[in-house]
Amino acid sequence: MMLRRKRMLKQLDEDIHEHIARETQENVDRGMSPEEARYAAMRKFGNVMRVKEETREVWSVVWLEQLLQDTRFGLRMLRKNPGFTAIAILTLALGIGASTSIFSVVNTVLLGHLPYKDPGRLAMLWGTNAKQGATEIPVSPGDFFEWRQRNTAFQDIAASYDHEVTLTGAGTPQLLIGYSFSANYFTILGVAPELGRTIGPEEDRPGGAKVAVLSDKLWRETFHGDPQIIGKPITLDGEPYSVIGVMPRSFDYPPGMQVWMPAALPASEANDYQHHYIRVMARLKPRISVARAQAQMTALSLQINAEHPATDTGNGVNITPLREELAGDIQTPLYVLLGAVGFVLLIGCANVASLLLARATTRHKEIAACAALGASRGRLLRQFLTESLLLSLAGGALGIALAVWCTKFLVSIFPNDIANLSIPRVENIPINLPVLFFALAATIFTGVLFGVAPAMQSARANAADILKESGRGATPGSRSARLRRFLVVGEIALSLVLLAGAGLLIESFERVVHGSLGFQPDHVLGVEVFLATNRYPENQPDKQRAFVRDVLRQMQSLPSVQFIGAASTLPLTGFWGETDFVVEGQAPPKPGESPSADNRFVTPGYFSTMRIPLLRGRSFTDADRDGSRHVAIVDETLARRYLGGSSAVGKRLNLGPQEKPDWWEVVGEVGNVKAFGLERPDLPTLYRPYDQSPVGLIAFTIRTAGDPAELINSAEQAVWDVDKDQPVFQALPMSTLADQSVALRRVSTMLLAGFAALALVLAAVGIYGVMAYSVAQRTHEIGTRMALGAEPRDILRLVLGQGARLTALGVTLGVFAAFVLTRFMASILFDVSASNPATFAAVAILLTSIALAACYIPARRAMRIDPMAALRYE
Amino acid sequence: MSTKEQRERIELLQGTLDLLILRTLLLGPRHGHAIAKAIEFNSDEVLQVEQGSLYPALHRLIKRGWISVEEGTSENNRRAKFYRLTPKGRRQLALETRKWDKLAGAIARILRPNSQENGP
Repeated sequence: MMLRRKRMLKQLDEDIHEHIARETQENVDRGMSPEEARYAAMRKFGNVMRVKEETREVWSVVWLEQLLQDTRFGLRMLRKNPGFTAIAILTLALGIGASTSIFSVVNTVLLGHLPYKDPGRLAMLWGTNAKQGATEIPVSPGDFFEWRQRNTAFQDIAASYDHEVTLTGAGTPQLLIGYSFSANYFTILGVAPELGRTIGPEEDRPGGAKVAVLSDKLWRETFHGDPQIIGKPITLDGEPYSVIGVMPRSFDYPPGMQVWMPAALPASEANDYQHHYIRVMARLKPRISVARAQAQMTALSLQINAEHPATDTGNGVNITPLREELAGDIQTPLYVLLGAVGFVLLIGCANVASLLLARATTRHKEIAACAALGASRGRLLRQFLTESLLLSLAGGALGIALAVWCTKFLVSIFPNDIANLSIPRVENIPINLPVLFFALAATIFTGVLFGVAPAMQSARANAADILKESGRGATPGSRSARLRRFLVVGEIALSLVLLAGAGLLIESFERVVHGSLGFQPDHVLGVEVFLATNRYPENQPDKQRAFVRDVLRQMQSLPSVQFIGAASTLPLTGFWGETDFVVEGQAPPKPGESPSADNRFVTPGYFSTMRIPLLRGRSFTDADRDGSRHVAIVDETLARRYLGGSSAVGKRLNLGPQEKPDWWEVVGEVGNVKAFGLERPDLPTLYRPYDQSPVGLIAFTIRTAGDPAELINSAEQAVWDVDKDQPVFQALPMSTLADQSVALRRVSTMLLAGFAALALVLAAVGIYGVMAYSVAQRTHEIGTRMALGAEPRDILRLVLGQGARLTALGVTLGVFAAFVLTRFMASILFDVSASNPATFAAVAILLTSIALAACYIPARRAMRIDPMAALRYE
Repeated sequence: MSTKEQRERIELLQGTLDLLILRTLLLGPRHGHAIAKAIEFNSDEVLQVEQGSLYPALHRLIKRGWISVEEGTSENNRRAKFYRLTPKGRRQLALETRKWDKLAGAIARILRPNSQENGP
């Protein structure tokens, strides 16, 4: 625009010059002398300066000039009222800063860049089975093969499964968390390796070459970033693998993986519909929505069910977009928090709008003067909006600074690495362009929002009204006072919604943390070990038994140890596996419909170490070992659900096939353990003696009199004293695991409570401001009342009554709004109804008391008004 | 209030000149001097436009997108700026002409009510 203006004005000069030259020439042609001709031409053209001026005006940017004027004036006004300006900017900075911080988390976690090709088309395909109550389990190979062949919704579909391996021969032995990928998995994700290549189809078949792709982290840390790594052999589980590629640093799928190997699914499994172990990733065809793919796949799985009635007991499919899969459990809490900061921002806006309204009333003389001097209503409106935008821009700038600081804090409390939850790992929360854009949008939005009402109010007033209103005794700005009362009611209502949400979350949190895990995590150290399968093969269980026995003996002699035990898996470390069983004397269920139980193998000391109470029968002893009668202990849930409750002890369970039963006799019943976190339902659990059924997963538990963290080094050493090549996966106090399992809840509760507190303070300031202003405006009236005999108590009642009416209205509206809105957070509440009356009542009382306390200060001031002084006032 | 009335009066005058410029350019692109001459000549020299006032009007029309400007050479091989009617300007001219006719007719009926009934 500016450039065009310059160019056009230059053209104008040439044009005028040209015009006059032509006219002069014509005049000369008519016979005038050159001097005469030029003079006549000039006269006919008119005032060149004025023409230029008028043309310049055509191209001038009037609004810009006015904006500069408004800005200068606005800045002067803001400087003149430093107290008002500081409070307004601070309020806005808090609101914009909080919103921007939470949005930056949303932006990173839910909207962040995924380093895959067209990630919006990627989806995970989970198995379901209505009869087993499973909604998101891995897929059976039979289903996978059929889906791959017969689906119509996907461009490509790939299989994977977890595959932990022990790396030896490269420093200390390490357990690597790995995945087996079918060859097309990397192509579906669309990620190229940093070095070498990914798995080829010739390797992705049974008997194919043993190859491995390394993660960037493993390559750097264990192989020192060796640029010649490609083609080198490494030893995984005692077998030689050759390294064919290294993935880029940004590639982290599935999260935390260190090595990828070929999946090589054997075709012989094509009829297996019962073992669910494959995790399926697919890329949707263009223009096929998730919903349509889901419908097509559901139809396909019904066909597959019908074709294999004997083995497929109703396997279904559940398509989850990858982004949703990765965001998992943090999505709802984040959106609730985003809504909460939005409310805080609105409350802040209401406060600033209220301040501006109050100030506009005191500025009415200035406005009247402007209007009298010919300022149009639009011009006044613009002036006021400029002022409010200046405020919001200052607030926004400060808010962004605040957000930079807040995001650092949010990273430090972000619930990373929680075994039981699916949350993307977040190492930093950048304030990037989308976040800045959000902050700018919030700034302008708030500037207009809180500015427009006062501006309209001021611009509407005409000089005559103002003159009338400023007469003695009348209530000035009654319209604006009404608007301010409306704002106060609104912010009280919004605060109530926030308080109700926070109250419900706090209530949930209380119930969660005071719920019993079923074991006592304090003073217990857990040491997890995955036995390397090359040296502890499954067909040599004696080696596993000996290892566990020897390590337990070493640990026994550590200082301050009270109890020790071991279990195949620790509670709160995720899901490891189930076993089907049939109760003796009951009709054999159809295949795939047997009851199943969480499957754990423990040593005799485990229950006493973890303090899991024995309810009936006996615990395991050293006599329950290999070769002796097979015994089992069940938890309360299994006993109640399948064994008739109190009579569980003595019953026998068949864990083998019908024709070749494998009987285990129940000798005891223990309390339930919240193995998957306090908020998850109990799974029936079956414990068996480790010695009677050794496995390669083993976790030692040590109860100590002191701090379990101090035992970590010596406990690891105890493992290495038995086998120096055996990696320890992790050693950590059980209380850490217990703590982590509530980390997300703790953080979201803490943040929401913080925002609600902020809202409460802002609302209190808001109602205080309105009441104080109202008292100041009514000084004359109150003085008259007192002069006519009103007691200070009556005045107190008068002012408090007005405040109480506003509060009551706000609280009532808020309760209704909260009743509607808290339902959206029902999924993150625990054991509390979204409209819990006790919570609603408590926050209503809290808000009312705070609001009345805020009114009490101006009410006391009103009581102390000296009638004589008041009547002389103004 | 007085400023507003003044502005409206100016706009009316400008509007008329704008209409005349558009009408002149309907016959083909012209340079500024030629436009001024054409308006003078076609109105039997009744309308004496102060030639300079043509230029703010031309620039206003350019800004609105009703005419465009281009470099060219005139009959006697001199460089000059030619103004050309754009399709948008052509539509605007039709619209303005209709409006003008209506206005002129209405004013005529008010000024000479009888001549309307008796026919021209």
